[in-house]
Amino acid sequence: MDLSRRQLLWTGGGLGAATLLTSCGGGDGEPSASPAPGDGGPRAGGTLRVGALGRAGAVTRDPHGTQTNESDYLVISLVHDTLTVPGRKRNTEPRLARSWESSDDLRTWRFGLAEGARFHDGRPVTAADVVFSLRRLRGTPSGASRLPGIRARNITADGLRTVVIVSDRPNAELPLLTRLTTFVVPEGTGDKAIATAPGTGPFRLDWFRGGNARLVRNDDWYGGTVHLDAIEVRIFTSPQAMAGALLSGQIDLASNAGAVAARTAGTREDVRVVRRPDDMAMPIVMRAADGPFADRRVREALRLAVDREAMVKQVLSGYGTVANDILGTGDPAYARDLPQRPRDLERAGKLLEEAEFDTSRTYRLSTTEDIAGLAESATLFATQVREAGVRVEVVKEESAAFWDRTWLKGDLYTTYWGTNDSVVFLAGRTMVSGSTTNEAGWRDAAFDTAYEKAVGTADAARRRQALHELQRIEHDRSGYLLWGMADGIDLATPAVHGLPELPGYGRVQLERAWLAR
Amino acid sequence: MAGPLIPGGAVAPALARLGALLLKRAALLAALLALVFVTVELLPGDAASATAERGEGAADLARRRALLGLDRPLAERFRHWMTGLPAGNLGTSAGGEPVTSLLSGPFPNTLLLGGLALLLTAVLSLALGCRAALRPGRALDRTVSGTATAVLALPEFVVAVALVLVLSLWTGWLPATTATGADGSPASWRMLVLPVLALTVPQTGWNIRIVRAALADAARAPHVETAVLDGLSPHRVLLRHVLPGALPAIATGLATSTGMLLGGAVVVETVFNCPGAGSVLASAVTDRDGPVVAGVTALAGAVITVVLLLADLVRDLMTGGRR
Repeated sequence: MDLSRRQLLWTGGGLGAATLLTSCGGGDGEPSASPAPGDGGPRAGGTLRVGALGRAGAVTRDPHGTQTNESDYLVISLVHDTLTVPGRKRNTEPRLARSWESSDDLRTWRFGLAEGARFHDGRPVTAADVVFSLRRLRGTPSGASRLPGIRARNITADGLRTVVIVSDRPNAELPLLTRLTTFVVPEGTGDKAIATAPGTGPFRLDWFRGGNARLVRNDDWYGGTVHLDAIEVRIFTSPQAMAGALLSGQIDLASNAGAVAARTAGTREDVRVVRRPDDMAMPIVMRAADGPFADRRVREALRLAVDREAMVKQVLSGYGTVANDILGTGDPAYARDLPQRPRDLERAGKLLEEAEFDTSRTYRLSTTEDIAGLAESATLFATQVREAGVRVEVVKEESAAFWDRTWLKGDLYTTYWGTNDSVVFLAGRTMVSGSTTNEAGWRDAAFDTAYEKAVGTADAARRRQALHELQRIEHDRSGYLLWGMADGIDLATPAVHGLPELPGYGRVQLERAWLAR
Repeated sequence: MAGPLIPGGAVAPALARLGALLLKRAALLAALLALVFVTVELLPGDAASATAERGEGAADLARRRALLGLDRPLAERFRHWMTGLPAGNLGTSAGGEPVTSLLSGPFPNTLLLGGLALLLTAVLSLALGCRAALRPGRALDRTVSGTATAVLALPEFVVAVALVLVLSLWTGWLPATTATGADGSPASWRMLVLPVLALTVPQTGWNIRIVRAALADAARAPHVETAVLDGLSPHRVLLRHVLPGALPAIATGLATSTGMLLGGAVVVETVFNCPGAGSVLASAVTDRDGPVVAGVTALAGAVITVVLLLADLVRDLMTGGRR
């Protein structure tokens, strides 16, 4: 449902972008403030040129395949609609599904389709198209993890306008699962024709070549007015090249350009830095099942030993926020009332002593360069916990080797998650006992109970309560150390308005963008 | 076709030699491809885990492996891939795209980039090498040789970043990255200038050294001494008597540069975001995508083979077939 396992090697090798951008910074003014919308509302017309990261060899056109390229995902999500989309006030907002309701037992969910939704070839969208697409998605190797607890035969049509999904177990969060990958194609689309299948989205595909594409406005889009005439998507292998293209006027928007580019390009008046908070979590996983960190007190000591402010400032160049060891910080239900864990070296030392932690040993912290800042976070963490008497040696592993050998098995390693607007989603993925991706091997009966309650309770108030209890336990004793959250950062020229504000996959919501020129 | 190339007739033996050479090179290429398959296999992880999503269980992963054909033994996969090769079928990528369609845009771009760089390298290194050889030991010779040594040690990455900085971001003369049109090739010739230069600079340094050394070697031949004693002008001696003797070595030097140019393309294409085979190769290695890596290797290997063959022909032509 969210990140592909391998999120590319876009770790800005630093050198390029940093030197390039600083050396041609247009003065040392303040970083450009938020957009000045200028006079009045959106203007129609124009072509937005968007740079997005991707690798030429990993290009994929299948809406239900694994899109490791951000550029491919951007194209697909502008052409095809999903049933629901991420939102700000509620984390699930309607799109092709206009509304949804569940049975009392939270197992049967009925989705009503949006009025006037048509494919780009003019055919109206029917429930049969949606059922076909969902079943096709379910049939891929990642189907079981994208639509957990939903069997293909339990996705059915009720008339022309209603899709019925029956879940194996009660799931109050089922609509959340239909957000990111439930792209709808016409019923009966074959694998050969999937790349050119008409979508229902705000833009139609004009051409696609080697990861680059041109999309033109769908005048008949049911979702509202689209201002832009066209969007051109350009694939970039490195954030450095992408920032260079923005600075030399070849693109108008550099999507997910990262902190390094923002820090240096932000000093220029002709570049706007758009920050999307709660974009990326880079927690440190401490193995709870066995090994040196199995003792709760040791994990607590490490959580107390880290200097969160310094991590955000140095690892993220300040483009981020301090976190409190709970995953899913972008969730409207995130427990902000739980006390922020401070840095307390004294207590950390005491806890280590109580737990008889062997401080003469050196512990390995495995990391990768999969995403920018990850390896740096490991290095700084190692320096910080040294002050609490814990010796940590950072071992940088090649990406494939890491996922093959260390992930889910290592005692101490860095990980990352790119969809952070649901506490309960991440809990189910990474912390519930039965999860196949329980990264720390953490098992906690009380936590499991709270989780079952949170997904199995229809009553809103009681659900909130369960969610809060779940977060309290997670904050108290899980295998995660979440020191901060990285912002998603887009760079744009001043003429671009109506840009995406949401973290994670929200970065592709370009249907409201417009150009003031 | 080889007839007019070989002075004094004897077409049949020349053709036979050509055939034998071709066969040898094809066998080498096949061995190389087998090595590629084995190497990709030996790397940790595989294409299934590289394209898997977190949360996929062992059964899902096994299904993905089966879909990609990774459940079959390596030798069988290699044989299957090789049998498609003559028909131009390079297999399917881990992302589900036919390898030929992944490469149909990028590979010609890389050829164009590498071809232009090779041409420029040849012209520059011949011109500068000859100039330097005309007055050995003088200021110009020392400058050219010294600079050549310095730049041949420069990595393409450094040259590329410096070029972007000066010619694009400071002066705004040339585009910093390559944008492509609907046909998949660069939208404007101006986008080719910087990548070609970044590839040319280190290779020119290398080839000037070769030209200069080959000319110095050839200048020691007895017939050159005779020509000098006959009182011919230095230009005439160089062009008529020294250069022909040096050409085989120069051609071989340029031919080996082809490989280095294609290798350098991986780096240069990344810096300038050129849509080329180098960037496809880099990402395919990351994804353990055997068919794509082998596809790029096969095409690049074929090009290098052809160029080496041409260099061999030049040598044959110059030495009249004698070794």
